[in-house]
Amino acid sequence: METVTLTIDGRPVTVDKGKTVLQAAIESGISVPYYCYHPGLGVDGSCRVCIVKIEKMPKLQTSCSTTCADGMVVTTRDEDVVKARAGIFEFLLVNHPLDCPVCDKGGECPLQDFSYAFGPAESRMDFPRRVFDGEGVKADVDFGPTLMLNRNRCILCTRCVRFMREVEGDAQIGIVDRGNGSEIATFREEGVHSLLSGNLMDVCPVGAITTRDYRFKSRPWDNPNVVDTICTRCSKGCSTSAWLKAKPEWARGSQLIRMTPRYNPAVNDYWMCDIGRFGYHWIEGEQRLRRPMVRRGSALESCAWHDVLPKVREQIQQAGTADPSSVRFLVSAHAATEELFVLRQTIDGLMGADARGSVSLTWARSEKTQPAGTRFVVPATDAPNVRGAHDLGFAVGAGHDGAPDLGALRAAVEGGRVRVLYVIDPGPDGSLGDVAWVAAARRAGTLPFLVVQGVVRHDLVEAADVVLPGATSTEKDALYTNDQGMVQPSSRAILPPGEAQEDWRILVSVARALGLSLSYDSSDAVRVALAAAMPGTAYAGAGAVTFSRPIPSRNWLQASNPSERWKWDFMFQDLPPVKGHSVQMEGVPVKDIIPLKPTQA
Amino acid sequence: MAYEPVLTRYVREPNSFTLEHYLQHQRGYEGLRTALGRAPGDIIEQVKASGLRGRGGAGFPTGLKWQFVLKDTPKPKYICCNADESEPGTFKDHVLMERNPHLLIEGCAIACYAIGAKVAYIYIRGEFYHVQQVLEAEIAKAYAAGYLGKNIFGSGFDCDVFVHRGAGAYEAGEETALIESLEGKRAQPRLKPPFPAVAGLYQCPTAVNNVETLCNVPPIVLNGAEWFAALGPEKNGGPKLYCVSGHVKRPGVYEATMHTTLRELIYDERFAGGMLDERPLKAIIPGGSSVPLLLPDELDTPASFDHVQKAGSLLGSAGMIVLNDTVCMVWLAQNLLHFYRHESCGKCTPCREGGDWLYKLLQRVESGEGREKDIDLLYGVASNITGKTLCAFGDAAATPVLTTIARFRAEFEAHVREGRCTIPAEWRARQPMLAGHH
Ligand SMILES: Cc1cc2nc3c(=O)[nH]c(=O)nc-3n(C[C@H](O)[C@H](O)[C@H](O)COP(=O)(O)O)c2cc1C
Ligand code: SF4
Ligand code: SF4
Ligand code: FES
Repeated sequence: METVTLTIDGRPVTVDKGKTVLQAAIESGISVPYYCYHPGLGVDGSCRVCIVKIEKMPKLQTSCSTTCADGMVVTTRDEDVVKARAGIFEFLLVNHPLDCPVCDKGGECPLQDFSYAFGPAESRMDFPRRVFDGEGVKADVDFGPTLMLNRNRCILCTRCVRFMREVEGDAQIGIVDRGNGSEIATFREEGVHSLLSGNLMDVCPVGAITTRDYRFKSRPWDNPNVVDTICTRCSKGCSTSAWLKAKPEWARGSQLIRMTPRYNPAVNDYWMCDIGRFGYHWIEGEQRLRRPMVRRGSALESCAWHDVLPKVREQIQQAGTADPSSVRFLVSAHAATEELFVLRQTIDGLMGADARGSVSLTWARSEKTQPAGTRFVVPATDAPNVRGAHDLGFAVGAGHDGAPDLGALRAAVEGGRVRVLYVIDPGPDGSLGDVAWVAAARRAGTLPFLVVQGVVRHDLVEAADVVLPGATSTEKDALYTNDQGMVQPSSRAILPPGEAQEDWRILVSVARALGLSLSYDSSDAVRVALAAAMPGTAYAGAGAVTFSRPIPSRNWLQASNPSERWKWDFMFQDLPPVKGHSVQMEGVPVKDIIPLKPTQA
Repeated sequence: MAYEPVLTRYVREPNSFTLEHYLQHQRGYEGLRTALGRAPGDIIEQVKASGLRGRGGAGFPTGLKWQFVLKDTPKPKYICCNADESEPGTFKDHVLMERNPHLLIEGCAIACYAIGAKVAYIYIRGEFYHVQQVLEAEIAKAYAAGYLGKNIFGSGFDCDVFVHRGAGAYEAGEETALIESLEGKRAQPRLKPPFPAVAGLYQCPTAVNNVETLCNVPPIVLNGAEWFAALGPEKNGGPKLYCVSGHVKRPGVYEATMHTTLRELIYDERFAGGMLDERPLKAIIPGGSSVPLLLPDELDTPASFDHVQKAGSLLGSAGMIVLNDTVCMVWLAQNLLHFYRHESCGKCTPCREGGDWLYKLLQRVESGEGREKDIDLLYGVASNITGKTLCAFGDAAATPVLTTIARFRAEFEAHVREGRCTIPAEWRARQPMLAGHH
């Protein structure tokens, strides 16, 4: 890659050719504010806060739209720039409602933070602010099924407009009217209808676009921890962050508070879809399986792990002795690679590698309705690990792009040739696809024994003889292989509920009960064995994969966007001394002072 | 020797707009025929040598602009004629298009030939419905006579001219906003670079030229570059249209050379014929509402691009707004800011937010509610807009405030001190309408 070297604030900075001055500043930790710029969107040059002085140019230039050149001399903090920039910040707040205390963005708002760092101490504006929709009360309007829009807060950076046009591929958001009356709007106020709508909350630098899901639920400082993980709702495997609300042991309510995308140029860039973003409530939902259960007559009753395992062993051994092919496994492609590996070892150990055909992989598919030109395609396969199952040597129907093939299994079950069906189902309800025929076979008496190792109580669970509570991907460290063949770690953010166990552990217990000597005591140990068993493949490094632990989350932006991450890592802590504090506070360390205007002190 | 108008000589004759009249009296389409017999590069060289400068506002050399149009490209190229004419005090292009449309059509065709384009779009101001009718009818006649269309004069050169009517926005006259609007989008400017010469209409190389600019092209081809240059002061050659309005006896469009002084334009019998009711001149805005004021002691400035600039203003669109002593300068600024706040496209922060703020402050001061600090605030807010916006509109919007305070600060102070406008009530023009007020 060709590079250019320029000077910013006296520092030589070398960047790849083609980068803008703003990007060069961000890369080298020099603070230049920006709103309309977003690394995942086209340059707009409209907010004007990124202005800098460049030698030999007659006027101040917007750094986001100026390409670096060799020998360029840039100044970001001399008097002219500081004054001009402060003027623009003053303009940005002329009509902004400053309702930060009741705004969802409060505490993680680039408008707040940059204004503190670069704005004037006080605004000279003393006219009533512009309000849309009348008296300020109706400022909040529905913005489609997932979002809310508050036009009063909008600073017209057009990031949302450009996201819809450039990424979503359907320009649903536009600006109507002009000048000072410009407002964000959709056709006939219909709002945004998009599988990618949640990203609009991410790109909006103020609290103008918020999600209904997160709205009023929490404040940034209530979410002290974040876990870097991946989404397992489809075969794409977007990098995400799972946000954890701090709550005392005894408090009710969920701990997972939101999911946000994490920048990954190889998979998802800065984005994720709404299925992954909003579809996490089931994980801590009422329908979760918390204890093992066995059937007594028509009812399922809770029991202890040590009581339930012998039952499973008994049935498998009996059936296996009579006819090895009468023991079959129906496995969701939500099963992690570790789980599939333990299952493979169990089958190989008990019945030999030829018996791997006793495992049928299954998953759900749904064609997503997306604009033809979208830059972010959500795959039809609603499971994270079809590729992983394939790589481990299991038959996977038409593969990760196609449908599962359960025809043979179904015929065997309906023909009464299966005595024990062991279902592994660590995904959300519905992720097995159409398996109503299993419960039907139970009712018809053709399937004598059904084991369900799962996470939510659904129809198949109701038909089971034994229920083993497992863990969702959010509750375990595990590997999944996405549709590009990338082996990706998904990290544990919370613990499995009640007595539920990580699925690899359940499978090891079952294998042991069946007499196999598997000695894994952690999922790490499983991965080490997996790596050893698959040298020369994408799994060879599995033993050394590291997983994220809850890390302080100062801000969601840091995770989704490296330039924002820079801002929070570098600048947020580096705020200039508090302005205009009172004389009584003289001598008090600056970090202990909450900024107030002198008139309020 | 009296100057013989070139562009507007016949505009008072009833049939001046017809093809027959144009052919008979103005050597119609001979310029195009001549041009087609020469190399396109020669035409550009000739226009460069003539020193023709853009008549749309910036005064940029037209030949140079054409030369910058990217040559080695598989893409089509375009001429966009800027007929948006919306600058307050400017009404010259209107006359040319309505009364001498074939001169523009011929100018478009020659310009296309020079830069290697086959299509010219005339982007006409939304309100000019009638002018559009005239233009389209005359374009149809030019096609029928073989001056447009395929294989013009058997030269192999094809040229189409289309008229596109805007929706009525001042900002649509900014060249990149014009291109956006022509493409069917909101009339908001683009970042430059890339300039239209490289990536203009549909991202293809494009030259945007004002109506009057293009109308000067056929005479240059016919009469030569030297003739054109010799008509005016150095680097300010050719015929020039002046729109004189305001408190003068005979407001109107006058054609002259750029030797003509501001004083002549106001007082000479050939032009506006003196101040209305013989009242004293207070100030003149020489280039449309976006440029700084000049005072009576600057009247001997020749109305050329360079002389007016040297005097501290700009020739701009040559819209001369003449103001007598009845005009309150605070009201003037308020009136103009009412226009600018209404016309701001809203794309960039300083102009969108600052223009409205300026207007509110001016309203407050003009109505006598203002405070001493409002004057500095006005100046400060206007300075914070200047030079920081995406397009030149921002500078244009700030100028009326900066120039009135710089030149007439005492009037602002009097408003604040007395709590009212100090100009006698019966002198005061009517308040601007509050259309579009949010
Ligand atoms: C806000 C704004 C409005 C403008 N309006 C016009 C206009 O109505 N007509 C025009 O010819 N040029 C207008 N211009 C100037 C054009 O951007 C451009 O410079 C001109 O059309 C170039 O043509 P010329 O070189 O022949 O003058 C405007 C510029 C700005 C910034
Ligand atoms: S709604 Fe948000 S993202 Fe969209 S223009 Fe307004 S501030 Fe920018
Ligand atoms: S200065 Fe900015 S808001 Fe004003 S017209 Fe130009 S781009 Fe639009
Ligand atoms: S970030 Fe550069 S103008 Fe908005």
